[in-house]
Amino acid sequence: MEVPRIGVFVCHCGINIGGVVNVPEVVKYAMTLPNVVYSEDNLYTCSSEGLSKIKEGIEKHNINRVVVASCTPRTHEPLFRATCEEAGLNKYLFEMANIREHCSWSHMDEPYKATEKAKDIVRMAVVKARLLEPQEEPEIEVVPSTLVIGSGISGMTAALSLADQGFQVYLVEKEPELGGTVRHLHKLYPTMVEASEGLNKLVNAVKLNKNIKVLSSTVVTQVKGFIGKFDVSVQKGNSDTANFRVGTIIVATGADVFQPVGMYGYKEYDNVITQFELEQLLKGGQLEKTERIVMIQCIGAREEKGRTYCSRICCMTALKNALLIKDLHPETDVYILFRDLQTYGKEYEEWHRMAQDRGVKFIKYVQEKPPQVVAGPDRKLTVDVYHALLGEQVRVESDLIVLSTPLVQHEDAKELSQMLKVPLGLDGFFFEAHVKLRPIDFATDGIYVCGTAHSPKDAAESVTQALGVASRAAIPMAIRHLRTEAITAIVDESLCSGCGTCVKICPYSAIEKDEKGVARVTAVVCKGCGMCGASCPEKAISMRHFTDEQVVAQALAALGRPVT
Amino acid sequence: MKANNSILVIGGGIAGMQASLDLASRGLKVFLVERSPSIGGRMSQLDKTFPTMDCSICILAPKMIDCLRNPNITLLTYSEVQEVSGSAGNFIVKVLKKPRFIKEERCTGCGVCAQHCPVEVASEFDMGIGIRRAIYVPLPQAVPLKYTIDEEHCLKCGLCQKMCGTEAVDFDQKPETIILNVGAILVATGFELFDARTKSEYGYGRFQNVLISLEFERLLSASGPTGGHLLRLSDGRIPRRIAFIQCVGSRSLKGGLSFCSSACCMYATKEAILIREHEPECEVYIFYNDLKVFGKGYQDFVTRAQSHWGVNYVRALPGEVMEDSKTGDVTLWYEDTEENMTKSIKVDIVVLCPALIPRATNKELGTILGLELDEYGFFKPKDYLFAPVDTNVPGVFICGYCQSPKDIPESVAQASAAAARAAEVIALLVYKGAY
Amino acid sequence: METEPKIVAFLCNWCSYAGADLAGTSRISYPPNVRPIRVMCSGRVDPAFVISALETGADGVLVTGCHPGDCHYVSGNLKAESRMKTTRELLALLGLGPERLRLEWVSTSEGARFAQVVTDFTDDLRKTEPNPLRAGSNTRASVTMKDVVFDGLRNTNVQYCLECGKCSGSCPISKVNDSYSPRRTVERFLLGFRGKVLSSTDLWNCLTCFTCTERCPSDVRYPDFIKICRSVASKEVMEELCAHKGITMALSRIMTNPGLRQQRMEWLPEGAKISQKGKLLYFVGCLPYFDVVFEDFKLDLLKIPQNVVKVLNKIGIKPVVLSNEKCCGHDLLWTGDQENFERLAKMNLAEIKKAKATQVVTACPECYRTLKKDYPELIGSQGFEVLHISELLCGLMDRGKIEYNSNLHRKVVYQDPCRLGRHMGVYEPPRKVIADIPGIDLVEMGRNRENAVCCGVNAWLSCNKYSKAVQIDRLMEAKATGADLLVTACPKCQIHWKCVTSEKLPVDPKEVTMEMRDLTVLVAEAMCLT
Repeated sequence: MEVPRIGVFVCHCGINIGGVVNVPEVVKYAMTLPNVVYSEDNLYTCSSEGLSKIKEGIEKHNINRVVVASCTPRTHEPLFRATCEEAGLNKYLFEMANIREHCSWSHMDEPYKATEKAKDIVRMAVVKARLLEPQEEPEIEVVPSTLVIGSGISGMTAALSLADQGFQVYLVEKEPELGGTVRHLHKLYPTMVEASEGLNKLVNAVKLNKNIKVLSSTVVTQVKGFIGKFDVSVQKGNSDTANFRVGTIIVATGADVFQPVGMYGYKEYDNVITQFELEQLLKGGQLEKTERIVMIQCIGAREEKGRTYCSRICCMTALKNALLIKDLHPETDVYILFRDLQTYGKEYEEWHRMAQDRGVKFIKYVQEKPPQVVAGPDRKLTVDVYHALLGEQVRVESDLIVLSTPLVQHEDAKELSQMLKVPLGLDGFFFEAHVKLRPIDFATDGIYVCGTAHSPKDAAESVTQALGVASRAAIPMAIRHLRTEAITAIVDESLCSGCGTCVKICPYSAIEKDEKGVARVTAVVCKGCGMCGASCPEKAISMRHFTDEQVVAQALAALGRPVT
Repeated sequence: MKANNSILVIGGGIAGMQASLDLASRGLKVFLVERSPSIGGRMSQLDKTFPTMDCSICILAPKMIDCLRNPNITLLTYSEVQEVSGSAGNFIVKVLKKPRFIKEERCTGCGVCAQHCPVEVASEFDMGIGIRRAIYVPLPQAVPLKYTIDEEHCLKCGLCQKMCGTEAVDFDQKPETIILNVGAILVATGFELFDARTKSEYGYGRFQNVLISLEFERLLSASGPTGGHLLRLSDGRIPRRIAFIQCVGSRSLKGGLSFCSSACCMYATKEAILIREHEPECEVYIFYNDLKVFGKGYQDFVTRAQSHWGVNYVRALPGEVMEDSKTGDVTLWYEDTEENMTKSIKVDIVVLCPALIPRATNKELGTILGLELDEYGFFKPKDYLFAPVDTNVPGVFICGYCQSPKDIPESVAQASAAAARAAEVIALLVYKGAY
Repeated sequence: METEPKIVAFLCNWCSYAGADLAGTSRISYPPNVRPIRVMCSGRVDPAFVISALETGADGVLVTGCHPGDCHYVSGNLKAESRMKTTRELLALLGLGPERLRLEWVSTSEGARFAQVVTDFTDDLRKTEPNPLRAGSNTRASVTMKDVVFDGLRNTNVQYCLECGKCSGSCPISKVNDSYSPRRTVERFLLGFRGKVLSSTDLWNCLTCFTCTERCPSDVRYPDFIKICRSVASKEVMEELCAHKGITMALSRIMTNPGLRQQRMEWLPEGAKISQKGKLLYFVGCLPYFDVVFEDFKLDLLKIPQNVVKVLNKIGIKPVVLSNEKCCGHDLLWTGDQENFERLAKMNLAEIKKAKATQVVTACPECYRTLKKDYPELIGSQGFEVLHISELLCGLMDRGKIEYNSNLHRKVVYQDPCRLGRHMGVYEPPRKVIADIPGIDLVEMGRNRENAVCCGVNAWLSCNKYSKAVQIDRLMEAKATGADLLVTACPKCQIHWKCVTSEKLPVDPKEVTMEMRDLTVLVAEAMCLT
């Protein structure tokens, strides 16, 4: 390694720093530090003038490591790094000392102490700069094709959008038919289009699209690789296998409907059915005329333990079906027993009003006092419920009881999640990279999720998420190359004992054990968080640009210990 | 016809930024037009976000910086779209860049000017409960970090000009008209708040200790007028009891709008938890009608608020709020519908959660773009189910709250959806041999 | 039809009942037209009994008691004397004739006297016309539950109720009676428990003040819902609850009889100029009756119509005042007597048409609402404009027609009447009128305009501890403004408040007692007309 020649540029930032910290003093101090060959102050280092002075300084004084003491790296680090690059230095040979947000702005009443602190901060940056090494950002090629797992409304929408953007799509579906759950639905709210009508349009478009290869009755058996180069193996039936390579993967596997066996007489009495089964009856025109129907919401959902979540779509489905029943048999009395009516969004509250208009009766019950269903003579069922808003027990005799149950994750999702190395959340649904700002990405680069595989939602919301993943997946595939992080983990194989701690702890599944049993980091997937480095008992794995040595040196420098 | 691979995004909130970044990351050029001096939108005004309790600006600022630094994104802040002509693949857009009276290339965001400005103005970013100067940035993490002079309140005293170290102040700056040629347009104009003064029974606008949610959020925020200290604005006292009233102007067949704003139950829960974190001795009551817990992680969030944080949920919408003019304390009258009793409760602060409504300016924008709006002012999707981000104008797409009420994750996903559609339009024209 | 007069007699137990017995034991004959009812004291006889008897078709009512000084209960008979005097005034107003009520003193030993009294009364009644109310056609018809009524309920929006409870949280009664809940009533109704709703006292406790509707997000018109339910509910519960034994309602019902010619113009001030036909008609309302019924309150209610006429005359307007103006029917409509309301309405409309009036002005918000809103809705549009006196005065003020001759130096607080305010949206004209008067400092209560609190009683129902609590709270609020004069635009508000402050109060009377004045009387004072 070359001898470090460090240049320190201290910024006044107008009076933001200079008005509190004695900048000339800091400049003088910097010159006393080992390996610092040059130091100067600037009024505004980030200005074009300041940037030229950095370049000048690098050239004139043969500087090979740069420290800028100014504001937070969160604003101008990329700018200064780029400036170093322009002056011929590797951009990772640059370090910032934050003496504004972390110093002058926070200690405006104590200029002496602020100046002392600024000197410490500069010393810490210099100490790290001394240990910096040039880094490279590896590039990977991205194959412009995608695997969509699941051909429901989400999978097909994502497939079509990506195909229309010019990418090759492999659409894998485990059933013989395309369409997923929507095949079994009657009408879709809020437009009340026939589910089959809307779905058929999608299926036809998918089948006609030259960029989409449909693989029905097929399951994914293995996925290896990383973003840009996923090697996928699929199997049809017992023996028919195929392999192909894709750049991205989209999980659109949908969800199942919870069967409330043993609850409220389900499967015990034939006139207790689920909302999904009611949907089938309505679809097939098989709903008999009855005197009274009682729908009970939140069956097996919003529980204290287990399925604690709200399944989002049941209230609207109940309202929709209640209105359809009223259309068919206007004299039928319909009751909806609910806990909190989930009529969110722009249109859904109007459906509630429509139902009120048609005389649907709403009774609120509370979790602590759930309704009871008791069978009586000639197939009459009595629902006994504590009306929470009247404070009275209400007894309703019913011919048909409809239980609204939640969507739940498929049984075989665990297998898929392990195959792809993507996590499932506590609720069983696939768990995204960040709940707020990356809802349809997985933490693992190149894999995305949409539709009810992510969480319960209706058709409109599934379509939106599906289009969303089409944009997310298109990004790497459109630019064909990905420059990945330079700040990645690096393994010293001689020290690695193969304990596997880092493999388990990596949130991006970027580490695996190679043939020798030693940890190997896939740099393109590694995000540089450093969790592996912190957990390795052998000090075998470390982070580029944030080595143990560099970090410890800064800590010691902070305390004023002399550093060799 | 030559296809254009640039896209115009109108609105610099989280949806507009997400769409811009998606498009820019895949090599398309984006013009991001934002009416206010900084991008960031509503999310930048929040303290924390539900249900993760992330610091909002902390997770947002990197995205804002990304928009600034991405070479494919051109930020046009403090600007408005004036005219649009043409069609998908080839829109001609006239953008008015309002004068900041600051030379942007000279301004370093140091803030010396504002320190000397004698004029105090109610800060829009702080929803009127905080102060800014006539020369200002709306928030400390503004992107771009360039000051703006508010022409209406500026006294032209020239102090800022005198103090500026880079001679960035330019009182002669004129509005600029920029002509853009884009292939597709995305609209992401977000929301504003229903005027809670019309609910005179709640006393907002008359009683000092009745606030609306976004004002309260600013009160809780570290960058807000009290530095994040939970205090009453009337007397600076630490509150001992705070009540939230949901559905103010929502789910109404009269005196409001009929839809549910979909985020208020959750953000009230969030603010309630923040109160309990700041002041463990402060009781919190949320008065609600139907608790909207339909989103991912919502129910668990509410359960935690109740069991761990001790937030009280009362199923009632209060009838009225009365003020003790001597102390500023406010009393709510309500029927506890689960206990079947009419009661009153005295609290230190009442926070109203007003309906979140489409911006009034959507109408004008709709006219400029030829877009259909529904009766509330939301832009109408072409088909709510199968074409949720398309509109009646090919090549123009919508996303975020301006399409329908939704939370941040849904806005982000829908922004990507609109980006996908915009990209499809561009790609389609490419395949038609336009390139 | 029988032409023999029917007499109902109230005999006091101690003297006159014994006297009547003596007539019998002495075998003294007298006409058999009398039907005796024993009461312990003549002081027991409530004017409502007399009215009730007459309403049901009695031609005459006889009340007998001990001679003054001999009353078994010391002074009961003297009470009877003043009450019967009042009642006779009512009968005179109604046109039924004061002579139908006779009060006589009969002692235990005066058997012959009793017989003579009855004979004289019977003879006199034979010479007068039979009671026009004999036909009994004006008594309430019992309405059966019809589904067509429930269709009308859809217009009240009850089906849209969200159960949010905002109504109960706004209701002044709910605040003092924590189990009174408009919301629960609606929910029970929607679930089909109609019987429960119709038989409950809650049905009659509603003030119909519209505060709930004002704030309801689903625009449920709860008072309209109550009104329709009342029209099909059994009236037994109501009769238990009605204050003053429903005498005012009885008076209104009696007025539906076309055979009666009221004598109701006595209040006109000297020199008043009125006409039979004209553009502007002044609709007086029931003030002449209230003045008699509530004379103990010394509210001087007749000052209101007197000053209306004085002010109008001063401006040069000669209003039409109907000599046979009937009750507008407001209280009957709101207590579910749709049939008699329609009768009254049709009669009033005929009279107004006959007078060729194009503008009807009234100083009573209940008449205002009823004439302006209910008549056109239930009977049909009639081609005349209806104004509250404050609206008329505003118009005249704008044209510079009002001249004030004195500076009043009062600090005034104004109460928005429910019928003028929330019902009809008239908030500013009364304020404009008051503020325009020289020397007036107009202050506001915290709860004003659409948030104003009802005076606590509607249609004489539920004058109970809850309504008292509401009234006391409101008066304290008025007092707390520092005003020295409480101005109302509704005579009923004045009556109800005077009533509560005349009673034994749970608070210091100083906290609730305020000088009250009607709006028009205040204007007249400032014009030096009073």
